[in-house]
Amino acid sequence: MKMLSTYRKEMKIAMRGFYFYIEIFIAVVMLLILLVAIKENPDSKQREYVFYDARPEVVELLFAKYIDEGKIVPAADTEIVMKPASFAVKNRDTGSTVSYSFDSAKTIMARTMREIDVDDGRIKKTIFLLDTEEDVLRLSHSSGQVGAIVSLGDRGTFSYRYILQGYETERLTNLLYVYNARSVDVLEQEMDRQAVRELGSTERLNARESAVPALITFAGSLMGFFIVMSYLFLDKDQGVIRALAVTPATVWMYLLSKTMVIMTTVLISSSIVVIPVMGLKPNYLLFYPFLLATTFAFAAIGLLVASFFDSMSKSFGVLYLLMIAFMLPGFSYFIGSFDPVWLRFFPTYPILYVFKMIMLGKPDVPYVLTASAGFLVGGLAVLAIANEKFKKTLTV
Amino acid sequence: MITVRNLSHSYSKDGKMAVNDISFEIERGETFGFLGPSGAGKSTTQGVLTGLLKLQKGEVTVAGYDLNKVRNERFNKIGVSFEQSNVYSKLTALENLKYFADLFDVPTRDPHELLALVGLEGREKDRAGSFSKGMKHRLTFARSMINRPELWFLDEPTTGLDPAIAATIKDIIKEEKAKGTTTFLTTHNMYIADELCDRVAFIIDGEIRLIDTPRNLKQRFGQKLIEVEYIADSRPVKETLKTIDDGDRRKLAGIVTSYDIVTMHSKEATLEEIFIQVTGRGLL
Ligand SMILES: Nc1ncnc2c1ncn2[C@@H]1O[C@H](COP(=O)(O)OP(=O)(O)OP(=O)(O)O)[C@@H](O)[C@H]1O
Ligand SMILES: [Mg+2]
Repeated sequence: MKMLSTYRKEMKIAMRGFYFYIEIFIAVVMLLILLVAIKENPDSKQREYVFYDARPEVVELLFAKYIDEGKIVPAADTEIVMKPASFAVKNRDTGSTVSYSFDSAKTIMARTMREIDVDDGRIKKTIFLLDTEEDVLRLSHSSGQVGAIVSLGDRGTFSYRYILQGYETERLTNLLYVYNARSVDVLEQEMDRQAVRELGSTERLNARESAVPALITFAGSLMGFFIVMSYLFLDKDQGVIRALAVTPATVWMYLLSKTMVIMTTVLISSSIVVIPVMGLKPNYLLFYPFLLATTFAFAAIGLLVASFFDSMSKSFGVLYLLMIAFMLPGFSYFIGSFDPVWLRFFPTYPILYVFKMIMLGKPDVPYVLTASAGFLVGGLAVLAIANEKFKKTLTV
Repeated sequence: MITVRNLSHSYSKDGKMAVNDISFEIERGETFGFLGPSGAGKSTTQGVLTGLLKLQKGEVTVAGYDLNKVRNERFNKIGVSFEQSNVYSKLTALENLKYFADLFDVPTRDPHELLALVGLEGREKDRAGSFSKGMKHRLTFARSMINRPELWFLDEPTTGLDPAIAATIKDIIKEEKAKGTTTFLTTHNMYIADELCDRVAFIIDGEIRLIDTPRNLKQRFGQKLIEVEYIADSRPVKETLKTIDDGDRRKLAGIVTSYDIVTMHSKEATLEEIFIQVTGRGLL
């Protein structure tokens, strides 16, 4: 009962202040950016080097048909410089290896086409039409992109030979086989055989969707961490904490009600972003408990930090450093190759990855539940320390 | 209602005491004045008694609860009005009182009635943030009565208020006294103390110098004074003379026989004058 009216009072105060509306406003802006400015699937930077082993009229005819169908759009010719190079190519089917060595640089003007996705109009890849098979090999080697040699077979059928880098996923290779390959040449490049991070799940969240976990982590939990501090300092300014301390209500209840207000706000602002963008894809039964648990933990951290200071301005240095620290895992999230071990100890690191997991709709349920429980228990512990701290810093 | 035995309190570890080994008792229904200059330790004492400050040393019972064992439920019997008003500025006057009423486990007073009592009728729906300093103070004061406290702590209840409002507050305190409420009143203002308190304690530098009723104090320390104004060499002269001092008495007799008297009053010593006499220091 006391808890309920304290919560109602805190909500009233929150809704009469501007932070609440800022959160909602930010959520709406994020939603608009996601829906309007970020394409679900942005233009691909993928390039393909192709040599058609056929008479030019046949190739022209073929492209005229593709352009007619809207699958291909011609672009201005591209000047390409090829450097001297030497490498070996191994045929996957036969196992035979052919070595190539090019001693001089070569500059060509390549006809350029863009392959368009007929459904959404985005560019799927840029195709360079080259004049010789060797140019395809050289460019595929130097750029690390796919090369293809297309020959017109006997009964008007095409046969494809793909030049791959040797580290493509098995899936892609098989796909090429199944679709159209008669024989696939694999460009083996021992020195380039770098480990490629398997972003298994990224493949299934489109560009718009993959921004969502970061937005809810940073605009949700982190914002809550900041806002709970400002709420607390407002109360400190007004001296109401002392007034509450001489009632049967406890400091604990007071702090808990603050975290509940933040949880409510984050619940609303996150839903504004998540539901329209993700639809029914995420598992909401896991999403909300995890969202609330993490928000609670961050609000508790905010309260603990606030307990060490008597004004927002004095706490600013620490607040700023913590905000930066909590944002660091975002780099790892967006830049896959940046993933140092120490980053995993930042609380926002697991949050980002669990949200991503949930957004994909195929979360590891026990893991998410354990993580939620972990944040809840951790939050309670932090809040308990803050509670003791507050009891001591109340003054007359 | 309150017993304090050898209470000491320090804000630092260097042995500097804000309150040093004080003892006193307050009876049920009594209005007890705690008087002293700034920095004497009044608010510190009230802080310990209300539980805002942790009891460091001494035996203290408040409203039947031993402060060494912290029980939040004791606040059901206690009301506290703060020197600096502290209300939720984003809530209306009414919401402020209603919310606090919800925090108690005992029957509470009607917020409307309380607001009317302190002269805030018609302003119930206004946010406390829009209130003047005096209005906020009255709201803080009204809030301290919400749970019908048996024991009431008032820190400077009339300081900084306009005289009419101060008079209203004084009347409310008297009314509560008539109902049997025990009051612990902290103040600089000797007139308020004189008028409202059954007993007063003089505190200075963290120590209590004496505790007595205002009446006894005046009998023990106060002397009757005569204030006389007369014309000497066509100029008005004003003098205050003690009736118990032989020299002063002779001087007075001389004045009366030799000069034209303009005015002559007898005057009682004020608590303030007694305070100065006892402690050797003023109240401000
Ligand atoms: N929060 C604090 N930290 C450190 N010292 C304090 C604190 N509060 C009070 N003191 C010191 O304790 C002593 C007693 O202060 P206290 O506030 O009890 O005086 P007071 O009698 O209420 O004065 P006033 O009439 O000005 O309100 C003073 O020396 C003061 O400097
Ligand atoms: Mg004081």
